[in-house]
Amino acid sequence: MNLLEYFARHHREILQATLEHVWLVGIAMLLAVAVGVPLGVLVARRPWLSKPILGGANIAETIPSLALFGFLLPVPWLGDRADRLAIAALALYALLPIIRNTAAGITGVDSAIRNAARGMGMTERQILLQVELPLSFSTILAGIRVATVLTVGIATIAAAIGAGGLGEFIFRGLAMVNNQLILAGAIPAALLALIADFLLGVCERRWQPARS
Amino acid sequence: MMRGAGLRLAVLACVVLAWVIALGSCGTVRHDEIVVGSKNFSEQALLGEIVAQQLEARTHREVTRRFYLAGSYICQQALLAGRVDLYVEYTGTALTAILHDPLEADPAAVYERVRSEYQRRFGLDVLSSLGFNNTFAIVVRGEDARRLHLKTISDAAPFAREWRAGFGYEFMERPDGFKGLAQTYGLSFAETPRILDLGLLYRALLEKQVDIVAGNSTDGLLAARDLTMLVDDKHYFPPYEAVPVVRTDALARFPEMRAALLELAGKINDEEMRRMNYEVDGEHRDIADVAREFLRAKGLE
Amino acid sequence: MSTDTELTPGRSSLPASQPVIEFRHAGYKLPNGRVLLRDLNLVVQRGETLVLLGRSGAGKSTALKLINRMLEPTDGAVLVDGRSTLEGDPIELRRRIGYVIQEVGLFPHFTVEQNISLVPRLEHWPEERIRARVAELLQLVGLSEAEFLHRYPHQLSGGQRQRVGVARALAADPPMLLMDEPFGALDPLTRAEVQAEFQDLQRRLNKTIVIVTHHVGEALLLGTRIGVIDEGALVGLHTPKDFMEATEPVTAAYIANLRMLEKLEGPG
Repeated sequence: MNLLEYFARHHREILQATLEHVWLVGIAMLLAVAVGVPLGVLVARRPWLSKPILGGANIAETIPSLALFGFLLPVPWLGDRADRLAIAALALYALLPIIRNTAAGITGVDSAIRNAARGMGMTERQILLQVELPLSFSTILAGIRVATVLTVGIATIAAAIGAGGLGEFIFRGLAMVNNQLILAGAIPAALLALIADFLLGVCERRWQPARS
Repeated sequence: MMRGAGLRLAVLACVVLAWVIALGSCGTVRHDEIVVGSKNFSEQALLGEIVAQQLEARTHREVTRRFYLAGSYICQQALLAGRVDLYVEYTGTALTAILHDPLEADPAAVYERVRSEYQRRFGLDVLSSLGFNNTFAIVVRGEDARRLHLKTISDAAPFAREWRAGFGYEFMERPDGFKGLAQTYGLSFAETPRILDLGLLYRALLEKQVDIVAGNSTDGLLAARDLTMLVDDKHYFPPYEAVPVVRTDALARFPEMRAALLELAGKINDEEMRRMNYEVDGEHRDIADVAREFLRAKGLE
Repeated sequence: MSTDTELTPGRSSLPASQPVIEFRHAGYKLPNGRVLLRDLNLVVQRGETLVLLGRSGAGKSTALKLINRMLEPTDGAVLVDGRSTLEGDPIELRRRIGYVIQEVGLFPHFTVEQNISLVPRLEHWPEERIRARVAELLQLVGLSEAEFLHRYPHQLSGGQRQRVGVARALAADPPMLLMDEPFGALDPLTRAEVQAEFQDLQRRLNKTIVIVTHHVGEALLLGTRIGVIDEGALVGLHTPKDFMEATEPVTAAYIANLRMLEKLEGPG
């Protein structure tokens, strides 16, 4: 049976695994954005925080993914369920690019614009929501794009600790020495990463601020 | 642009919401099929296949196979998350690796402990044993067994001084492995046991590079070669009875499932499992075929 | 270049004596100890245009920023409408004061309309009123509504951006206007144009204006009084007429500079 036939035969399992994968990545990214963007704003506002916050995120990034999964295993509540664990680890991984890009985007806003905004009587909150975030949206989105592609890849390793997803096909295929099974996991995973990259790239370009 | 920014935010929020809702529905398994899992060695795949075919015949439902998952932890996680509806676990492994309880030797006690704890802690059902006990096997050459009248491990203990032993790495390291065995039976070998790859153990034994090895009691080669498994008369090794572990909600969704699985109870003895393992590992036969023949032979097709 | 020191009609030489902005021994010192402004005593009357003239780094921008609390005085006090800037809500203070900076600082992601209507929207004006006001302002600064309303800043020339900046500052009809080197980024021809238009504006509006500049010609053209700032201190305060006769050294230097440029250009 060639590869296409294999995919046709097992399309339901492959789809199921793909949905599991998307679920892992999706929740992790939601968490990472919900935590990372505010942290990025904080770093932009108080530069002295950049060392500890970016440093911390950098450490999480540097730990090899499998090792990070291993570290989190004994943690209560998190370690009890592999998908919780995987989502937590994936979210940690996604933090660094998001924090970094958010901070860079906000500090990159022309100081004349900030001055004018402040001088006209905008509150800090109004400046953030109406000026800084919209102007850095494209940069922040670039960080999210990088983080998403990264997460899709690392999520394949999550199967090693039982979180499911497309990586499971790969590991099973390796154990059974079955190439089709391996590809049944690898190809959709690669496609997911490419699609995410493309879609987010489109959004990023669309929301690029006009040249001043 | 206040309006524009508000609009953008609203669109973004809708997209995020839709995303979350879509994701929420991803987590659930489809309700019209049964998913059978297994660990990543041939005996497990065989058992998984037998269970799968039995369920297909008796429940007339779609059965999806998710075999070769990389170990007990992975299978347990898959079960808890609902990615898999059942798989066959060994009672001793469930006791130590999943429940983290101390070892016991009495099979009935171990089974009961596993059954009740799985129900209490995880809400999972443990059904009756399939009939065999895949525990550690202490194996010597058939000719030596006959010559020295060896039936049990106690019989062999006095000869240990003259022998070389060969064990797998895990057997050397596990608490229920070599250390405890040597203590229980007073075994002392002339040299430290050689550590060998599991696949090479029997070959080394037959070629007389070692005189005694620790394998698995349902290993295929045990049936096919002149090898004798020594009886664990002091009941040192914990029992590893093969039991189906099933999600309670799967049993509820598919009422015919319980009866179908109970039909398999006690149907496979040690010898039969060894035979089937040999057919797959030694003769390289197709797992599905071997499983089908077994079911037919037992009148279960 | 015009050195006409006669008071042009419409500009009052004796402004109504109601102090709108008051500096009382106001000073500003950086955290590292450097003093940018020292013991400034100055009163800005309602309806006048006070120009702060000085070289770069003299402290004039610092003084300006003390008015709308972009900076807080480290010594003395600055009073706006009789109240210290340190009392009350800085946001509320700034909404009452129009602010124009050299780089303008228009929001690149807002159209001209959205830029101008910023403060009215923050103040929750009804849409109708905002629309009417924007139209009025565009006319005031000489930009065609049809052409410019929905343009973005990057589609505007320097002079057009400057005008939008002024319109934005005037949007909520604040009684006071602060301008920090407002025409500094423009080329001389555009600058002259915009200055002339601004004079016109001054006549029509009745606002208290403080302008910071290092351009003496501009000071003479636009100011009802000129305050000369040098090294953080106010060294002279004159009407344009008196300015030309001042004997204080820094002021004299400005006059000399002016006369020299006049000579270069020839009469008229």
